[in-house]
Amino acid sequence: MTHTPRTLSALGLYRRMASASIVAQLRYPGTFAIQAIGNFVTTLLGFFGIWSLFRRFGSIAGWDIGTVAVLYGLVNVAFAVAETLGRGFEVFGGEYVRTGSFDRLLLRPRSTLLLLLGHELRLRPIGRFLQGAFVLIAGLWLAPHVQWSAVLVLPLAIAGGAAMFLGVLIGQAALCFITVEGLEVVNVLTYGGVEAGQYPLTMFGRWLRRFITFVLPLAAVCYYPALFSLNHPDPLGMPIWIGALSPIAGFVFLGVMVLIWNRAVAGYVSSGS
Amino acid sequence: MTLRPYLTAFGLQWKIGLRYRIAVVAGLAAQMWFGAVTLMAYASVYHAAPDVQAPLSLRQAMTYTWIQQSLFTLLPLGCLPAIGDAAKTGAIVYDLLRPVDMWNWWLSASLARLLGNAIPRAVLLACVAGPLAMLVGLGAWSLAPPADLAAAGLSLISITLGALLSATIVMWWNILTARTLSPLGSYAVGTPLAVLLSGMLLPLPLYPDWIRPFLLAQPFAGITDIPIRIYLGTPIPGGVATGLGLQLFWLTALTLLGRLWMRQTVNRLEVQGA
Repeated sequence: MTHTPRTLSALGLYRRMASASIVAQLRYPGTFAIQAIGNFVTTLLGFFGIWSLFRRFGSIAGWDIGTVAVLYGLVNVAFAVAETLGRGFEVFGGEYVRTGSFDRLLLRPRSTLLLLLGHELRLRPIGRFLQGAFVLIAGLWLAPHVQWSAVLVLPLAIAGGAAMFLGVLIGQAALCFITVEGLEVVNVLTYGGVEAGQYPLTMFGRWLRRFITFVLPLAAVCYYPALFSLNHPDPLGMPIWIGALSPIAGFVFLGVMVLIWNRAVAGYVSSGS
Repeated sequence: MTLRPYLTAFGLQWKIGLRYRIAVVAGLAAQMWFGAVTLMAYASVYHAAPDVQAPLSLRQAMTYTWIQQSLFTLLPLGCLPAIGDAAKTGAIVYDLLRPVDMWNWWLSASLARLLGNAIPRAVLLACVAGPLAMLVGLGAWSLAPPADLAAAGLSLISITLGALLSATIVMWWNILTARTLSPLGSYAVGTPLAVLLSGMLLPLPLYPDWIRPFLLAQPFAGITDIPIRIYLGTPIPGGVATGLGLQLFWLTALTLLGRLWMRQTVNRLEVQGA
């Protein structure tokens, strides 16, 4: 019986790399369990802080706990998905550029983005994911005017948010072509983005509102879809239907970052290996 | 007994901490961002509920946040990285062979690591959040000066105790690392505990009233929360003496129990590789 050589489709290749990564992580079940639980507890404690503010002040600047819980859940679930997929971009500077092993990826007849996505499918963020989902559902249960259309809009918002955070990670990796080592400043956009996204937009000063609306489309994937799902008018005066469409901005952001990535790869000069 | 080996261990880790200047600037940017987001959140929460009598005024909550942000690297987030590596490779046996008291040896290295990381960042952030913020007209958002001269002196003593206490807690993570032969567990346990219980996440005085006495009495409060309360002049039940007393109590208790645990761990340590 002869086998004709065949090439895997991109999806098939990714599936293989992902399953190899999952098997590798489950080799140490104890470590995995501790890390996942640690992740769950850390993020849950984050919500405990917000809840304590509610207990003391009655509301967060006039926002009810249901709305804030939905915002919190949305941004955490979206970030957890991006963290799971984008590990290769997070470690790109140290593990690929500095060591020169990115040269090897360039030799393979596949998109560098696909190969880096396959670097690792990280399971640890499942803690953040579950906790975010839990808070999100609790928020929907507590909020007074949940729309049925939320069933459609919230998944779109999560996908848009995950795309946006993945875009940040890709942009961070593209920056490594210049800086070689990864810069922790970019954490401002990832972890800092999660921190900012879990509060209503109206709480921030104008410069920060503009930044997380027009530079990083955080409000578009989090704040506006949440308002739409909860039928909550925007105190800043945006029409409410905008939340049903705004998550698309997350995909646009990802697209822009992919373009930047491709330009950066075209100009790549190896550090030598 | 000579002090020299411990001073050497201290000096080495101190220099490692000072090495990464770009990391210090990057850290500053991150801390400014987190500080700004948190401050704006507090400001709008306080302004929306002017009638609520909070244990901290808005200005105090802001100052608390700035100091917490600037001392982030002083928190015992996990074991000393060098010990984590040594546990993985088996090089930890070299430490066991040294003719020094291992507790003091590791403690001086851990303390130096914390201070070498924290001091440059704290000074830099204090300059930016204090005088510089005043100059550019952000006085209301800036780091307030200490309540009075006595508060300044006492908080300096208290933060010294806090640094020692943090290094002692890092020792517990070090022993855990030596026991489990991996630094990951210490980070998985240490980071959430330190971030929550030190008041990094939310100032400890702002938690619900029923839980506040417990939060004050646990060891992590002694690292930054008690020094900051003394600095701000916010009342601690029983006065400043309770605060300093709690710090001394935990320092002693954790050292004695920790030494015991370390002796037990070292006696039955199984090392891989080497």
